[in-house]
Amino acid sequence: MKKNKVSTWVIVLAVVAVLFFWVKGVYNNMVTLDEEVQTAWSQVENVYQRRADLIPNLVNTVKGYAQHESSTLEGVVSARAKATQITVDPENLTPESLAKFQKAQGELSSALGKLLSITENYPDLKANENFLQLQAQLEGTENRITVERQKFNETAKGYNTTIRKFPNNILAGMFGFDKKAYFEAEEGSERAPEVVF
Amino acid sequence: MRRFLFSVLLGLSIFAQAQIPSKPLTEDAVHDLAGLFSSSQRGELNDRLIALADTTTNRVVVVTVLDMGGMDASEFAYKLGESWGIGDAKFNNGIVILVKPKTEDSYGEVFIAVGYGLEGALPDATASMIVNREMVPHFQQGDIYGGVKAAVDIILPIIAGEYSAQEYEESGEGGLGAAVIVIVVFCLVLYFLSKRGKGSGSSGSRTSGGPTIITTPRSSGGFGGGSFGGGSFGGGGGFKGGFGGGSFGGGGAGAKW
Repeated sequence: MKKNKVSTWVIVLAVVAVLFFWVKGVYNNMVTLDEEVQTAWSQVENVYQRRADLIPNLVNTVKGYAQHESSTLEGVVSARAKATQITVDPENLTPESLAKFQKAQGELSSALGKLLSITENYPDLKANENFLQLQAQLEGTENRITVERQKFNETAKGYNTTIRKFPNNILAGMFGFDKKAYFEAEEGSERAPEVVF
Repeated sequence: MRRFLFSVLLGLSIFAQAQIPSKPLTEDAVHDLAGLFSSSQRGELNDRLIALADTTTNRVVVVTVLDMGGMDASEFAYKLGESWGIGDAKFNNGIVILVKPKTEDSYGEVFIAVGYGLEGALPDATASMIVNREMVPHFQQGDIYGGVKAAVDIILPIIAGEYSAQEYEESGEGGLGAAVIVIVVFCLVLYFLSKRGKGSGSSGSRTSGGPTIITTPRSSGGFGGGSFGGGSFGGGGGFKGGFGGGSFGGGGAGAKW
């Protein structure tokens, strides 16, 4: 009778220990992946910020040559103001918040696209060394945005796959690990402006 | 588990990028898949780039292709850099120079993709200037090798920290820019000399010539403003693996002709 009781305890202890190590492994793994997604997200915000930082300089340079285009210039300035107001809490990467962010940045992209297309009409501006540099930086930034968005999506996919797989999904539900949203592909609007020589 | 998932994902992503040439077995620095260089040209370029990798660990890889699978040159160059892992995983100090020659029905395209770690040493504006000033004029004459060589001649000293991107940019402005620098440097030299009292007056006389003037005050131990960080990582002892998992974040510039 006493022997039986001891072996029951041993079994209970063993089950608890196995459960503990399993939960620990899965939980820590999810935390690591979650951190990776947040790092990838901060990279995304960095490159968008980098673009926003270039805009005042670009607008001022264009203004010097193309005063008549004030509505286009104002469009860029206001789109930039809107876009920089919308930030996403990396803890809360829901489809809604990401879509809002993407929409604001997309509007800025199209305003910038308009601005760059009118610069075609100003040969003096196109010959300006400062403008050429800004244009190169802007193109580089658009490329960085594309790359970081792709990297974010890949990282988020790794995380989502992990938390949604059985039996991880049980623990993810218990500990509140939510699915992360992805960037949606946008037709054309996110492409860097083309320069042909 | 994570590692496994990661490798599965990696495998999938490589599979999805079937158009990117697979990672070569030999870690040569020149991969002339389009067959644009003669074997002696290829050998010469390769030797220079390997020598660079051996002394600075910075890795520059030249790739020519005939087809980019419908991708932009920029996208193709980053993906190739990432999937081949050009540069060191810790420093991300790789550069891809991608050239697609002009054909009857398509533009020629060139792109210099710069790894994360070299973005400071070689900013986009400089990369763009190198492309437009050094490469495209040669390419328009049909001289692909000349253009690549001209770019390499500029890029290698910049990323080795011997020459800053700013010095390169200013070298083309000539006249006014150089004159302003000469004056500023001259005033600073005078100022320091007057502060020190009896300094050696010799450096003050070296005010002729072009942008090399900037290096004069630095070598005399004054003000080392021009150099960017990230260019040189010291002479690594016996570094060989050029494809060490370097990562690319979208830096660089390109053009079409």
